[in-house]
Amino acid sequence: MNGIVKERLIFATLGIPMLFCLLAFIWIVGTLLTGIGTVNWKLLTTSVLKGGIFEMIIGTMYLLLGAAGIAGPIGVLAAVYLVEYAPSGKLTRMLDQSINNLAGVPSVVIGLFGYTFFCRQLSLGVSLAAGWLTLALMMLPIVIRGTEEAIKMVPASFKEAALALGATRWRAVSSTTLSASMPGIVTSVILGMARVAGETAAILFTACVSVTRGLPRSPFEPVMALSYNLFVQIVALGTPAQRVFGIALVLFSIVASLAIFAIILRTHYRRKQPWLR
Amino acid sequence: MKHKMLKTPKFFKRLKSQPIEVILFFCASFSIIVLFLMLLFTVKEGFFAFSKFGLNLILGQRWDTNRNMYGAFPLIYSSFMVVSGALMISVPLGVSTSIFIVEVMPFSLRDIFKSTIELLASIPSVIYGFIGKITLAPFIASLFGLFSGENALTASLILAVMTTPTIIGISGEIIAAVPKDYKEAALALGATKWQTVKGIVLPLSKSGILASVMLGFGRAIGETIAVLMVAGNVAKIPTPPWNYLDPVYPVTAVIAMQMGEAAVGSLEYSALFGLGLILFVITFIVNTLADLIVKKGSLKRGAKL
Amino acid sequence: MHVSDDTKIDIQNLNVWFFDNHVLNDISLKIKQNAVTAIMGPSGCGKTTFIRAINRMNELIRGNKTTGEVYINGHNIYDEDIDLYELRRRVGMVFQKPNPFPKSIYDNVAFGPKIHKMAKGKELDKIVERSLKEAALWDEVKDRLHESAFSLSGGQQQRLCIARALAVKPEIILMDEPCSALDPTATAKIETLMRKLSDNYTVVIVTHNLQQAARVSDFTAFLYMGKLVEYGDTESVFENPQSKLTEKYIMGKFG
Repeated sequence: MNGIVKERLIFATLGIPMLFCLLAFIWIVGTLLTGIGTVNWKLLTTSVLKGGIFEMIIGTMYLLLGAAGIAGPIGVLAAVYLVEYAPSGKLTRMLDQSINNLAGVPSVVIGLFGYTFFCRQLSLGVSLAAGWLTLALMMLPIVIRGTEEAIKMVPASFKEAALALGATRWRAVSSTTLSASMPGIVTSVILGMARVAGETAAILFTACVSVTRGLPRSPFEPVMALSYNLFVQIVALGTPAQRVFGIALVLFSIVASLAIFAIILRTHYRRKQPWLR
Repeated sequence: MKHKMLKTPKFFKRLKSQPIEVILFFCASFSIIVLFLMLLFTVKEGFFAFSKFGLNLILGQRWDTNRNMYGAFPLIYSSFMVVSGALMISVPLGVSTSIFIVEVMPFSLRDIFKSTIELLASIPSVIYGFIGKITLAPFIASLFGLFSGENALTASLILAVMTTPTIIGISGEIIAAVPKDYKEAALALGATKWQTVKGIVLPLSKSGILASVMLGFGRAIGETIAVLMVAGNVAKIPTPPWNYLDPVYPVTAVIAMQMGEAAVGSLEYSALFGLGLILFVITFIVNTLADLIVKKGSLKRGAKL
Repeated sequence: MHVSDDTKIDIQNLNVWFFDNHVLNDISLKIKQNAVTAIMGPSGCGKTTFIRAINRMNELIRGNKTTGEVYINGHNIYDEDIDLYELRRRVGMVFQKPNPFPKSIYDNVAFGPKIHKMAKGKELDKIVERSLKEAALWDEVKDRLHESAFSLSGGQQQRLCIARALAVKPEIILMDEPCSALDPTATAKIETLMRKLSDNYTVVIVTHNLQQAARVSDFTAFLYMGKLVEYGDTESVFENPQSKLTEKYIMGKFG
């Protein structure tokens, strides 16, 4: 019996770090929730010019949707190429490797690049459009990897049946594999959005300015965002006022909702697809 | 050499016949094109500073914007200090937790915890910074009797919380990928679960865990906003050098803080891009190494019948 | 419960479910000591689940529910106070697909004795040598004990797995279709080994290969859809089957 007792002890010790992780999570959520008093419908819908945070929320939404609109299609097509078309060889390995490398670039460096390339070189200035492009760079690896995984889980037999009927490669893949992997693709886009929703450093110099302003009237104007404004309020203006809690909570809720939604989507579709386990 | 040259024309010929393949290929090359452009433009903008200071940009000991002195050593030191502090906590924490989740936890609870870890991983850094500033920093300040709790210790702690999910995620995948056959063979010999983990699973997972640590390092060194909000932001090497209770100024924080005021084309502007280039190179190397380690490790593991 | 002299494993009313799937249905039989007993039957009849019930490996699979008793040396191995790890030391298992650890040949064989703290140093070397000899592999590997197990051929790897199981001095050896992944030459070697091993151990093998069962075993049990259809000495079962079902199976009427 000694062996079993020792074993239980070892595993219990391993469980302590697990507890720490849970505690960390509770601490974070708990702290945020202390500010729940400040969040009400009024705050969310009133303009910034009158003490609300409306434009920040919309600005974040604009940024998310635009970035997804760019990174989504490019990412999916890139993944299709890598899984279905790429010949094995040095070039393919380099392409694959570069996706990992892009994912590992610090967000502030992406922000720097975004500024000098999109804002200055392409003359977009500090604008929503520049923000879209910069954030798309951050979303891209997530979408590519997620789509690759989704495609790989679809049995090759679907595609082969289409090919046997005389369809071209692209037709076979797009009509069978791609549509079957849609849930997985959507999940990865949502996860990508969750990632960039809270992104600050990348939009710091590319899309936002510290002057309070209304909604951008065109993509070439700067935009307000929850993450950016939260950051500026705390760092530049010192001690956070109650309103800051509100911004933090709203931002956290958006990110958490997106992440949870993605997780639920993934679990739900994993059960529904008959060819998976 | 002949082989390689023969392959290329065929490849492009096929590309031409199928326009859709060209589009797909272009999309797939996006990352590499972007990386190339990044390198190009960062070097272009940083060139001014490098030509003025040479290697002193990296090794110089004073970073003073007002006097146009740009020696990034204290900044780089700050980054490494904070990152190593973070890893010292998050690596043991992360690896043990991933062992626990994969090997010990009953299936039913596993998904819940994995999702919790995923959620932790998606919390934006500005929120981590916010929480750190209003709860952790005052706590550290009162614990050590300091005026301000914004120092290397607080930054390390916040960074530890942020990097642990990365390590758990990747290590967990590696540990779960150990083929069932080996574990069954060990158990059939009468090994306890822990003996199986220690004798079979962990040795096989070594390279993957190392890779996860490297990726954690990469994430940590590139973390900007959270550290900026709690590190204290003083461009000086602590006295003594291992004093975590002194404020520090990591490279990422510097860029974020000072870019706003740097005039385009000025020396300051260029120096900041120089910093960006340093970061780019470091993370590029770390990521490439991590990938190599994973590839080498999976070859070792996979050699079966 | 009366243990007859030469019964090693006494199985009584064994039922195994995986979730709602009733895989083994009320199986009772007595396996004789120091003999080779073959468990045969068509795919999916529960043969693997049956032998895994003898070393309680079914418990590793989700949804497992097992009722009934399995007595080894007079003790019911499903009792609460049985040391599971000691049980598995005494009941060795060889799997369908050779699964040596990604370690050296020596380390593979030494793994078992090490974890059960059976020996160290020179003693351990002796155990490794003895086991490899018993598994008829010593001569082929004695000069390269520290090479990777994967440098061996399929048949050699399987014999290595047998040596690994023998190293912890079991009393019973379970083999789940040990030759199905091997070529005829390797198969022949292992079949000879099985017969030799039964001098000192109780060997239970699962096979879907009728000829192998006939060649190698002293006793044969025929399982069909989770039920025990027939059990007796091999000659009788093959030449004079009691059940029509057994007869059909032997004649190859179904697989």
